[in-house]
Amino acid sequence: MIEIRIHGRGGQGGVTLAKILAASEHCEGNSVQAFGVYAAERSGAPVQAYLRIDDEPIHNPNQIYEPDHLIVLDPTLISPAILSGLKPGGWILLNCEKSPEYYAAQERVATFRIATIDATSIAVKNGLGSKTVPIVNTALAGAAAQLLGMNLESVIEAFDDFGFHGGNIKAAREAWDAVRVQQQAPRPGERHQQVMPHERGPGILDGNTGAAPALRTGQWANQQPVWQNATPPCNFICPAGNDVQGFLAALTEEDVNSALEILLQTSPLPSVCGRVCPGFCMTQCNRSELEGPVNVRALERYAGDHGETQISVTGQRLEKVAVVGAGPAGLSGAYHLARLGYGVTIFEAGSELGGLMRTGIPSYRLPREALDRDIGRIMALGVQAILDTRIDHHRLEQLTHEFDAVLAATGLQKLTSVDLGVDLGSGKGQVMQGIEFLDHARQGSINVEGEEVIVIGGGNTAIDAARSAFRLGASDVRIIYRRTRDEMPAIPEEVDDAIDEGIRIDFLCSPIRMRRDDGKRLLSCQRMELGEPDNSGRRRPIAIPGEEFEIPCGRVILAIGQAADFSLLPHDAVLSKTQPIETDGEAPVYPAGDLLTNEGTVTAAIGCGRDMALMLHERFSGEKLYTDPPAAETVVRADRIRLQHFDRHHRHDENVLPFADRKSSFDEVRQGLEDVVEAKRCLSCGVCNTCDRCVTYCPDGVLKRVGREIVFDYDYCKGCGVCMSECSRAVIYMKAG
Amino acid sequence: MSLAGEANRGARGAVCGIYPITPQTEIVEFVARFPFTKGRVIPVESEHSAMAVCIGAALNGARTFTASSSNGLAYMAENVMVAAFYRLPIVMAAVNRTLGPPWNIWADQGDSLMFRDFAWIQLYCDTNQDVADSAMLAFRIAEDPRVLLPVMVCMDAFIVSHTSMEIELATQDQADRFLPLCDVPHHLDLEHPVTIGGMSFPQETLTHRLELDEAMRRVPAVMEEHRVTFREVFGREVAGDLEAYRTEDADRIFIASGSISITLKDVVDEWREKGEKVGMIRIKLFRPFPGERLRDLCGNVEKIGVLDRNYSAGTGGIFWQEIRAVLQGQGDRLVQGYLTGVGGGDVVPETVREVVRDLSQRSKAAAPIWKGIDQ
Repeated sequence: MIEIRIHGRGGQGGVTLAKILAASEHCEGNSVQAFGVYAAERSGAPVQAYLRIDDEPIHNPNQIYEPDHLIVLDPTLISPAILSGLKPGGWILLNCEKSPEYYAAQERVATFRIATIDATSIAVKNGLGSKTVPIVNTALAGAAAQLLGMNLESVIEAFDDFGFHGGNIKAAREAWDAVRVQQQAPRPGERHQQVMPHERGPGILDGNTGAAPALRTGQWANQQPVWQNATPPCNFICPAGNDVQGFLAALTEEDVNSALEILLQTSPLPSVCGRVCPGFCMTQCNRSELEGPVNVRALERYAGDHGETQISVTGQRLEKVAVVGAGPAGLSGAYHLARLGYGVTIFEAGSELGGLMRTGIPSYRLPREALDRDIGRIMALGVQAILDTRIDHHRLEQLTHEFDAVLAATGLQKLTSVDLGVDLGSGKGQVMQGIEFLDHARQGSINVEGEEVIVIGGGNTAIDAARSAFRLGASDVRIIYRRTRDEMPAIPEEVDDAIDEGIRIDFLCSPIRMRRDDGKRLLSCQRMELGEPDNSGRRRPIAIPGEEFEIPCGRVILAIGQAADFSLLPHDAVLSKTQPIETDGEAPVYPAGDLLTNEGTVTAAIGCGRDMALMLHERFSGEKLYTDPPAAETVVRADRIRLQHFDRHHRHDENVLPFADRKSSFDEVRQGLEDVVEAKRCLSCGVCNTCDRCVTYCPDGVLKRVGREIVFDYDYCKGCGVCMSECSRAVIYMKAG
Repeated sequence: MSLAGEANRGARGAVCGIYPITPQTEIVEFVARFPFTKGRVIPVESEHSAMAVCIGAALNGARTFTASSSNGLAYMAENVMVAAFYRLPIVMAAVNRTLGPPWNIWADQGDSLMFRDFAWIQLYCDTNQDVADSAMLAFRIAEDPRVLLPVMVCMDAFIVSHTSMEIELATQDQADRFLPLCDVPHHLDLEHPVTIGGMSFPQETLTHRLELDEAMRRVPAVMEEHRVTFREVFGREVAGDLEAYRTEDADRIFIASGSISITLKDVVDEWREKGEKVGMIRIKLFRPFPGERLRDLCGNVEKIGVLDRNYSAGTGGIFWQEIRAVLQGQGDRLVQGYLTGVGGGDVVPETVREVVRDLSQRSKAAAPIWKGIDQ
C-alpha cells in the first residue's frame, strides 16, 4: 500500500487533488481511498488530504500518520509538523518555483527526496482559480502522476469525472513535463517522530476557546488589501475645489462649524455658492443611483449661513497685491492672498463689492445679506477695497509699478448683442441687455408693469431677467431660445421655477428683427431645428427655411452671452493658467476667473481665483500650496459603491416661497434646509468614514482601526478580499502581493 | 457522501425538502444537481422547514428524502418527531457531526442519538458501500405497511461522508426492482377527508404509542426479509441489525458502531493472531435496539467492552447504556464503557489496542473511560 498525505490550504484544491489521484489510480486498476480532513472551514486554513493506493481492497478509515510520500501545495507550510511520521526515502512534492536542491540542502528534509513544480504559475497561466487563490491541484496531479509512475492519460481520463477540461489538462501536461526531482539520493535516517496530543486543553470556561486560530500566512497570500482613501466624484468635479465629502462628513455629525471651516479652506463664498452654484457635484453624486443626489448645495448654504468659525491670517508677507475686480474670482484671490499674509487692495469699478453676484443675480436667488456675510469674512482679513474705480489699460500699467503683483479678475465685460433693426438702449419699451436690466431691477429704477416682455437667451441671465420681469409686474413674460431645454446653460431648477411661475419658453426659436405694425410692436422669429454638435458639444441650431413667424412684444431683453474685455491687459498678453503676464513694470499680472477661463459660473471663478493666488504665492515664496488634481482613475464611481449596503432615504428639499407670494416680491424663493439630516445621505464615496465593516467582517481578525485609519497585520492576512468586498465605499482594494 | 443522494435518486425520490449544513452539503448539492424523472427538490430556509416539506409531501403519498447533520438536526427536531408520530416513511441521511458549541465539524454520534426516543428507525453505517445500500434498504423498510416509520441512515462525518472509494452502485433497473412504487396508505385524499394529528385524549394517545411500539418491534424481522430481497436483486449482502466477527469462541467481546468498528476489526485480527480470544460486534440497528440477538451473540462471555463515539453527560456512552441494560442480570458480567473519538478525534488502532488491553486486565467495571485525553 502507498499512503500519501497532502498538505494545502483551504481553497487550493488539495482534497480534490487526492480524489483526482485516486480516480487516476483507479483507472490504472488499483484500489483507492481519498479523503480530506478539514480545519476551520475557511479559505487559507491548513487542510490535509489523504490518499491510499493498493492492489488489495482498502478499508482502513484512519487518517494517515506514517505516509510514504507528501504533496505540499504551499511551501510555507513546511514545518516539522507536516513531516510527522514521514517514512525515510519518501518523496516530497512541493509546489514552488525553486529547484529541489534548494530544499534538499536543508537538514530536516535530508532524508527525503524533494521534487518541485511551480504549479501556481502553471495554474495562473492556464486561468485556473482566481487571482486570490489559484487552483493548483490539476497541475500537481500531473506532477504527482509522474512521480507515481502513472500514465498521464489516466489522470486526464479521471479529469473527465470531475468536469475538468481545457486549462486543467494543459496544466497537468505542463507539470508532467516540468516536474524536477532531486537527483542525489536521500540520506538514510529515522522516521520522523509523530505527535499525538493527549493533554487536556483549555475549556470553554477558560475564556479562550472559540476564537479562530491565528494562521501565519507568510508568502501564501498572493494579494494584499490596501486601505487608501480615493477621490469622491463630487470633490473631483467641484470647480471651486471644495472638499464636498469632507464638509458633508462634518455635517453628518451635526458639526456645522467644522463644516464651514472645511469649506472656507477652499472657498470664501459658501453662502453664495450654497445658493447659486449649478451643483456640479450633484450631477456626479453616486447617490443618484439610489433616490437622487445629495442636496449638497442646500447643505453648503446651511453651513455658510449657520456656521461660525474664526478665519485668521496664517502667514506674513511683505508683498502687496492689487486685485482688479471684486467678483467671485477677485474676492477668492484676495481672500487666499490675505490669509497668506499679503497686503491686498481690491479695485472695483462699482460702488459695492461683489460684481455680478450683486448686480446680476436677483435677490430672490441671492439676498444681499448672504453675499455681505461672505464678503464680510473676506474683508475682516484686512483686505482694502477701493470702490468706484475702473481700471483701464493705462491704470493697470501703473498698478504694475505700485504693487508687487496684480490679480486681474474683471470677468466678462462685453455684452453680446444682436441686430434686431432697432437701436439698443433707445428708451423705454425697446431693447436692453439683461445684465443692465437686472441692475436696474435691483435698484428699483425700471418699470415693466403691464408690459409684454420677451427675453432672448437660455442662460442664467435670461432666466433671472424673465423672473425679475415677472416680479416687476410684466403682463406676460416669455423666453425665446434657439435650442431646446437640454442645451440650456441655465441651472435646471431655475428653469423649472421659471416655468412654474408662468413664464413661457419658446424653444427652437431665434429672433430676426423687430418691427412696428399699426402701433403694435412685433418680433419676427425663425423656427430652428438641431443639427450636428458644435464646438461646445451641444447640437447646433439650424434655421428651417420658410418657417418664420411673428409674436407681439413690448420690451426685448437680450441675454445671449458675455465676453471678456482684454483691453486693459498689455497688448501682447498671452493668457495662461500656468504663467502670469510679465509686464514692463516689476509686477506680474495674473488673470483670473472668467477673464481667463470664460467658464461663466461663480464656482469656477472661485476656484480659478484661488489657483492663481496660490500660483502667485509660489512665485514669491517658493511654497507650492496647490495640489494637482487627482487622476481620473482614482475617482470612485457608482459601480464601485456597494449600493446594496445602504438604506433608502428620500432627499430633503428646501422649503420654497409660495407662488402667490412671488408675483410682487423679490423675497428669496428657496428658504434653506431646517436641519442637516440630509448630509447623512452622503455615501462617503472613496473616503473611509470609520464604519468598521471591514473590521467586523475580517474572518481572521487581522485588521484593526488606529485612529481614523485601518491597519492590517499582513503576517496573518490570507488575502481573501472579504474586507474589500465588505467596504461599502471602495476605500480598500487588493494589490498583488 | 453523495452516495446517500445517489441512493435516493435510485429510489426515484419524489420530493426532497433539504437545507445544507456541513458535512451534509454534498448530499444537497447532489440531489439538487441531478434531475429526477418525477418529483423535485424543494430548497427551504431552514432544517425545520426541510422536514416540514417532507412531512407534507409524504402525507400526499410521495416518497421523500432529506439529509442533515448536527445543529441542523437539532433545529429540525420538532418536525423530526412529527414525521414519526404521523407514521411517515421518510428517509433521512444523518451525517454524524459534533453538536456545538464549541463549534466543531467532526464526527460524533450525539446529534442523531438525541432522537433515540423519537420513534425513528436508526441505522449506523460503517463504509461508503454500507451507506449506499442501507439508504436503499431504508426506503423498503420505511414504506413496508407493517412498519410505516421514518428511517435515519447515519454515517460518521468526514470519515465516511467525505471519503472517496470504489463501491458498487445500484443501477436504475435494480433500484426499480427492489423498490415498488411508494404507497403511503394514510395519505391525504380529497375524496375522503380526514384529520391527522389533531387533539387526542390519553386513551387514544396510548393506542398511538402502542402502535408505534408494535411497528418498531416488527422492524428486525421485516429488515431480514428485505435483506433477502436485496441479495436477490443486487447480488450482494447488506448488513443487518448486528454484525458479529470472531465471537464464537471469544472470551472478550468489543462492541462498536460506525467507522470505529472497521479499526476494531483489524485490532481483533491482530489479537487473534497472538492467540487471544477476542471478538467484536458492530451494532448497525440502534432503533429498535436488537437486544435479544445481542444477548444471544454475547452468550456467557464475561467481559464486554463498548466503544462509543458519543456520550450522555454524567452517565457515559449511549450505546453502552443500552447494551448494559440488555445484558444485565446475566451472571457476573463486566460491561465496561470507553469513550473513543468523542468530538471527532481519529480513533487509531493504538487507541483500540489500549481498550483491548484495559478490558483484558480489568476485573471490575469502572465509570466509562475517556480515551484521547488525560482525565
